[in-house]
Amino acid sequence: MANAENVAVINEDVTAGAEQVAVKERKMVTDVFVEGARKGWQIATSSTVPNVLMAFVVIYAFEVTGFLDFLGSFFGPMMRVFGLPGEAAMVLFASWLSMGGGVGVASSLFATGKLTAANVAILAPAMYLMGSQLQYMGRLLGVAGTKGKYFPVMFAICVLNAFISLWIMNLVV
Amino acid sequence: MSRNNERVGIGAYLALLFAVIFFSGIMVSDLAKKTVFATPQSQKIASVLDFNTLNGKFGTLLNSATLDKDNKTVTKRGNFTGAGGDGARQGFMFALTLIPTVMFALGMVAVVEYFGALEAMRQILTVISRPLLGIPGEAGLALIASLQSTDAGAAMTRALSDEKRMTEREKETFVMFQFSAGAPLSNFLSSGAALLALSSATGETIPVSIGACLAVIFVMKVFGTNVFRAYMSVVSRNA
Repeated sequence: MANAENVAVINEDVTAGAEQVAVKERKMVTDVFVEGARKGWQIATSSTVPNVLMAFVVIYAFEVTGFLDFLGSFFGPMMRVFGLPGEAAMVLFASWLSMGGGVGVASSLFATGKLTAANVAILAPAMYLMGSQLQYMGRLLGVAGTKGKYFPVMFAICVLNAFISLWIMNLVV
Repeated sequence: MSRNNERVGIGAYLALLFAVIFFSGIMVSDLAKKTVFATPQSQKIASVLDFNTLNGKFGTLLNSATLDKDNKTVTKRGNFTGAGGDGARQGFMFALTLIPTVMFALGMVAVVEYFGALEAMRQILTVISRPLLGIPGEAGLALIASLQSTDAGAAMTRALSDEKRMTEREKETFVMFQFSAGAPLSNFLSSGAALLALSSATGETIPVSIGACLAVIFVMKVFGTNVFRAYMSVVSRNA
């Protein structure tokens, strides 16, 4: 039932938008920009900063214990196929849990020189293509009512998408 | 969802075109420099239509000054995050450098949205969604919503299916489209834009534009959806 309510709200928003066109016309474009930038500030402070901080702590802990080097050499052979160092596997895994976390891990590895600028460019689309899958299992597959039997193939296709994008980005970058 | 047939003015298409130009980096690409903007002066003016140009850069501070063996001063400069930090504190300082990019990107998104860029996109998607994705044109609004919010997309998809405006198979196909890179416009333009704006201590920048990444994401979303369509037809044939 909650879903239907959401939809009703969304539709209302849309129609309200149409009716407000006359009002909209009078809005200054600078005000529109500022509103968007304010939304950006909220996202940045409530998501980007905590995620990046978390990732820096995790990566630093891994670095201190030597676990990062282990991961690097463990995943090295697999990631080398895509022109990436082994540490890049951490970016993909973190992205799979949450896109924001993935960005944090990528930033941290880039800041410490474990990933080059080209590595980050190659990873960028893949991080989103297989991003936040665990959350979306509930928020998307659950809400839309996807049959459980399709879950595995959907997860697999997302990972496939991500790895093909790594290959494409290798050609582009 | 009754607005499917509402006319979309030329301004909306121009706003969409502007967004593509602005986020693709095409104005500062080698291609543009070789063809349209040959002179340094025209290149400078053209660069104003580029996200990265306007995103600008941080000023630098003196990080260290040492004397080399010839008694010459060697200085190292960097932005305000300083040199040699690590852990939570460095994470925080580093994260601060990302904030302006996120704010700027979402500010520009709000502007192009205001001028109807998303409406224009919906118009285009409504026409191509059946052949490209195997979902009805009616789903255009839900499709656009799903590019911005996973939750809105999910709820609207559920509603379309509950109202029988979409078959079970079309619904699952549509969900597949949304599942890979959920809400890519919001997610990529907020966190991805910040990622691509990174630059290393040596001044190395990420060699790809926001637009190029989004293009790859879209192509792969469509590709994945069609892999799923193929899977569905194989499964239903065997059933």
